[in-house]
Amino acid sequence: MAAGALCVFFPFFWMAVTSLKTVPEIQRVPLHIAPDRWTNLDNFREVFHRQPFARFLLNSALIAGVSAVSSVVVSSLAGYGFAKFRFPGHGVFFFAIVGILMVPFQSVVVPLYLWVSRLGLLDTYLGILAPDLVSVFGVFLMRQSIEVVPSDYIDAARIDGAGELRIFWGVILPSVKPALATLVIVKFMWTWNELFWPLIVVNSPSMKVVTLGLLSFTNMYFIEYNLVTAAAVVSILPILVVFLVGQKWVVRGVVLSGLKG
Amino acid sequence: MRGVLRLFAPRSYMDRQRRAGLLFVLPALVYFGLVFLVPLVESVVGSFHRIVPGGESRFVGLRLYQRVFTDSTFWQAVANTVSLLLMSVPVTVTLALAVALGLHRLRSVMARSAWAAMYFLPFSVSLVAAALIWQWMYDPLYGFLNHLLGLAGLPPLPWLQSLELVRPSLAIVNVWVRLGFDTVIFLAALQAIPADYYEAASIDGASARQALLRVTLPLLNPQIVMVTILELIFNFKVFDTVYATTQGGPAGASQTVIMLLYDTAFKFFRLGDASVMAVFVFASLLLVTLVQWRLFRREVEY
Repeated sequence: MAAGALCVFFPFFWMAVTSLKTVPEIQRVPLHIAPDRWTNLDNFREVFHRQPFARFLLNSALIAGVSAVSSVVVSSLAGYGFAKFRFPGHGVFFFAIVGILMVPFQSVVVPLYLWVSRLGLLDTYLGILAPDLVSVFGVFLMRQSIEVVPSDYIDAARIDGAGELRIFWGVILPSVKPALATLVIVKFMWTWNELFWPLIVVNSPSMKVVTLGLLSFTNMYFIEYNLVTAAAVVSILPILVVFLVGQKWVVRGVVLSGLKG
Repeated sequence: MRGVLRLFAPRSYMDRQRRAGLLFVLPALVYFGLVFLVPLVESVVGSFHRIVPGGESRFVGLRLYQRVFTDSTFWQAVANTVSLLLMSVPVTVTLALAVALGLHRLRSVMARSAWAAMYFLPFSVSLVAAALIWQWMYDPLYGFLNHLLGLAGLPPLPWLQSLELVRPSLAIVNVWVRLGFDTVIFLAALQAIPADYYEAASIDGASARQALLRVTLPLLNPQIVMVTILELIFNFKVFDTVYATTQGGPAGASQTVIMLLYDTAFKFFRLGDASVMAVFVFASLLLVTLVQWRLFRREVEY
C-alpha cells in the first residue's frame, strides 16, 4: 500500500526537485536526485519574469472564484425549488437537467464558440466563464441535500410569516452548509484545472489562465524542464492548498459525483 | 392552460407555491437551456449544413457525414481513442479496486485517509500539469524513467516519440490521474457494506478469499460497473494530456477523436465536419450511458 502510494507520489517529488535545479544540473550524468542548492529559486523568478504568470494566477483565481460562487447561488436556488416544491413540469425539468450530464461539452463547443464570438465575448472574462457558471452536478447535489431538510422547519418559518427568499436564506442554506462547502471547493478546482474552453476563447496573453500559461513554456523548440516544473509547481500550489483544506468535502463530492453516474 | 395562467395570477396558496418553485428553478433552466440544449440542437442542425463562401449556410443532407465517415484520418482517431481506452480503463479499475481493498483493511482512520489522499493527489491537479510532469519523466535524454532503465542495464526507450509506445505512455498518465478518483468511490462503497455480512460468512466457515469473491465483489458490482462507465467516458474524451504533450503525434499515432474535433473546428475552421464529430461523440457516449442503464437494472439489494 505504502509502496504504491510512494510510486504515485514520486512524479510530484521529481517535479519539485527539478524546479530547484539549474539546466546543467538537469543534464548532469550520472543523475543526482537532490538539487545542489535546496534554496535555488531562480527558476521561479524566471517563470514570473518570462511570462505574466502572476496575471495568469489572478485570472484563474477570478474565474474559478466567480464560477464557484455563481454555481452555488443558482444550484441551491434550483435545488430548493426541485426538492421542496411541486409545479407544472417539475419532473420533466429535473429529468432534462440530469439528462445534460449525458451531453459531453465537446458536443456543444462549436455552437457555443459561435455564440460567444457573435456576442463579442471572445477573450473576455465573461466569455471564459460562460459555460462554467453553473454545473449540473451542483443542482443535483443541492437537491439531494435540501431534500432531507425537514419540511416542518420550512412550514414553521412560513407560519411565522417569512417570505420564500427569507426561508431560503435563513432556514435552507444554514442547514446544508457541508453541501455548499463541497460545491464551492469542487467547482473551484474544476474550473481552475480546465483547459479545453479557455484554449478556444482566449487569444491575448493577458487573458490567459494558468493551464494555458503552463503550456506557453512548452511551445518552444527546446523545452526547459526546470522552468516547466517550476511553473507546474506554481500552478499546483494554490489547488493543493484548497485540496488539503477541503479534503473532506472534496472526497464527499467525488463520492456523490460518482453516485450521480 | 388554466394552470399556466394561474402561475402568472396566483389565486390560492397552492398557486403561489407553484409559482415560487418555478421561480427558484428558473435561472438554472434558462442557463442550461442556453448553454447546453440550444447549442446541442445547433450542433445537430450544423452537421447537415455547409457554410458556403459568403457566410450563407446550405442544407447538404448527409454529405458531411459521408465525408467524415469515409475519411481514414477520422477512423484512425477513433481507433487510437479506443486503443488508448482499452489500455487504461481495465488497468485503472483493477488497480483502484486493489488499492481500495488494501486501504479498507487499514485499521487506523488517520492512516487510511492519509494514504488515500496520496493516491488522490494526481486527480486534484490539472491534466495539463499532470501531462507535463510525465513528459519530463518520459524525456528520452534526461528523463527519470530512462535513468531507471539505465540503472537496470537496459537501453533507453523513446516513450512519447515512438509509434508503438506513445499510446501506452499516455495511458499510464491517464491511469495515474484517475486511480485516486476510482479508489475513493470504491472505498466509500466498501465502508457501506455491513460488517454482519462478513461475520455471517466467517461463521459459515468462509476463507478470506471466499469472503472477497462471494461477498465483497458481488456487493461492489454496481460500483464496478459505474466506475468502468465513468472511465470509458473520461478516456473517450481525452484531450488535455494529448494536447499538452504530443499534439496527436508522432505521425498521428496519438490523435484522438476530441483532438481531431478541436483541430477540425479551431485550426482548419471546418465547422460542419466538426459538428458531425460532435454528434458522433454525443451518440457514442449516449450509447454507453444506455448500456449502463440496462446493466444497472440488476441492482444489488443490501
